[in-house]
Formats: sequence, C-alpha cells, structure tokens
Amino acid sequence: MRGHVRAEPTRRLTLVAAGACSLALAGCKGLTALGARPKVDEDVIALDHAITAEELMIARYRLALAALPAGQHHAGGTGKAKAGGPDRAVVGALLAEHKEHLAHLRARLILPPRLATASPQPSPTPPAAPAAPHQILAELAAAEAAASDRLVSWLPEVPPALAQLMASIAAAEAAHVVHLGYARLAP
Amino acid sequence: MSGNLTERGLAEPRARRKQEVAALQAALAAEQAAIYGYGIVGAHLTGTLFAAAFADSVEHQRARDSLTAMIMARGGQPRPAAPAYRMPIAVHSAAQARSLAIVLERQVTAAYLGLVALAKPALRRFGANQMRAAAVRSARWGARPQAFPGLPASSLGR
Repeated sequence: MRGHVRAEPTRRLTLVAAGACSLALAGCKGLTALGARPKVDEDVIALDHAITAEELMIARYRLALAALPAGQHHAGGTGKAKAGGPDRAVVGALLAEHKEHLAHLRARLILPPRLATASPQPSPTPPAAPAAPHQILAELAAAEAAASDRLVSWLPEVPPALAQLMASIAAAEAAHVVHLGYARLAP
Repeated sequence: MSGNLTERGLAEPRARRKQEVAALQAALAAEQAAIYGYGIVGAHLTGTLFAAAFADSVEHQRARDSLTAMIMARGGQPRPAAPAYRMPIAVHSAAQARSLAIVLERQVTAAYLGLVALAKPALRRFGANQMRAAAVRSARWGARPQAFPGLPASSLGR
C-alpha cells in the first residue's frame, strides 16, 4: 500500500486493502460483504488439521475392524496383547479413544467447523486396508506414529490449554503403537 | 513473582524465565522421584524385565540431566532430589513392580504439562516429547490404553 508497490492498483488489491484497513480498524465484523476474506488464525488452522487427522484415524480404524477376521477375537480379551498379536478388542478400544480425542478437539473449535466450507462431513478417504491382519495392524501403527508427530509439530501454533490437550493426544497415539503390538516388551 | 502477575508482567523476559524455571523444576521433581522408584522396580525384576527397568531408568536420568541444564541456563537453581520417596504402592512381587513403573510413568507424564503450556516452542516440544516417551514406557509395562495421558480428569469435564 506504500509508494514502492509498483503494480497498478487493481480492483482486487483495492478490496484487499480496504479489507485490511477495516480489519485493523473495526475487527472486520459485518464487513465481509466487501469481499476481503477474514484472515484465519494459525491456531484455528492447527486445530482444524488436528480434527481432520482424528477423523481420518477413525476411518482407518473402522476399515481395519471390518477387515480383521473375527477369529482374532479372544474371548474375554481385556486389551492385553497375547502371543498371537493384538485382537479386535484392542483395535476397538483404541478406536473408542480416537472418538474421545475427536470429541474433545471439536469442543475447542469455536468457529463453524471446516472454516465455513460447504461440506460438514468431509468423509476422509484413507487408503484401502490390506487384507492380512499383521499388515492392517502395521498400517495402523504407522498412521498412529505419523499422527503423533504431526500433533507435536503443530504445538507452537496453539494456545496453552489446547497445546496440553494436543500433547496428551500425541502421547496417547504414541502409546497406541505399543498397544498395536509394535515396540512391545518381549515377554 | 509477587502475588499477581499482570499480562504486561508476563511479557517481561525475567517473569517469563521464572515461569519456565518453575515448570522445569516440576518436571525435574517427577524425574527424580521416578529414578528413585525405578530402583525399587528393578530390585523385584530379573532377566529382560530387569534390563527394561534399567533402560527406562537411564532414560529418566537423561531427562533429569537435560532439565538440570535447562534450569541452570535460565539462572535457576535445580532443586536437589530427596533422600527417599514414599512410593504410591508397596512392591513385593514382579507384578507389583510393573504396576509401580506404570504409576511412575503416569506421574512423569502429568509433570510435563506445565512445559507444554509455555510460550517457547522448543520447551513445548520438549515437554510433549517427554510425555510421549513416558506414555510409551507405561504401555510397555502393560498399562491399559489411556485416552488422555497426563491430563487431570477435571480438565476433561469428567
């Protein structure tokens, strides 16, 4: 907006400038008709990413549960991995935890979900689950580890209380890798 | 820190450093208790389980050393470990030793929450990574899955 901006002031630039000014002056409430998009804060973007990641994880777990043979289920399985590897009960318990994660993350989102885009249910499409049980569990474990890393990478963007929630979820996901039968204590 | 901190006060580097040192001291205290506790855990285990307890104890000692250095770098005085700690459960068997390891890891996980709430990204990441490591160790000792490791139930509206 200063003198050294060489480009001719187009209509869009003028609108952006007008939007920026009104943002600065009036907090841009009720001025959206001008056409300038309100700037979305980094913390909202990070939270939105975290919500999408949980939705994707839940979709993965549902696919995995559908693909795991019923024979994997040990009667009265309490979540302890047996020699044959974790069973459907473990996968079901971890799915329940991800639903809790999603509920608590959504509770922190004050803006309309999806940043006001049209699709309320984005239905993320994870890759089709492979057939062999050990492969299904390996894919889940890899997805958990990656999701945990991403959550930690978003921590600097969010307010303190949300950072604590996201760090806790990242810790839960790191532990899920163990519960899925990876990096488990030998005996 | 005199009583009430204004927002302007928090923005001051000195006040911020004090806040960082306080969070680091809380984590340090939990690590010192865990190191003591793992001595009891290891005493009741043999073979690979003893080796696992020893390895976990070394991880806690590394964390303790990192925290000590971070406190000193901020002009703080690391609080020394207590000569002894009262353990939350009595240990007379290998199974109880594993249970104690799980309790110790849960306490450590919670103790890093203060670091995660600080403004400095590096401290947030350090705290979060320690929370992840503790949750992983806890799971390896046989802990049931936990949806929100470290978070008090009160913060979850339960």
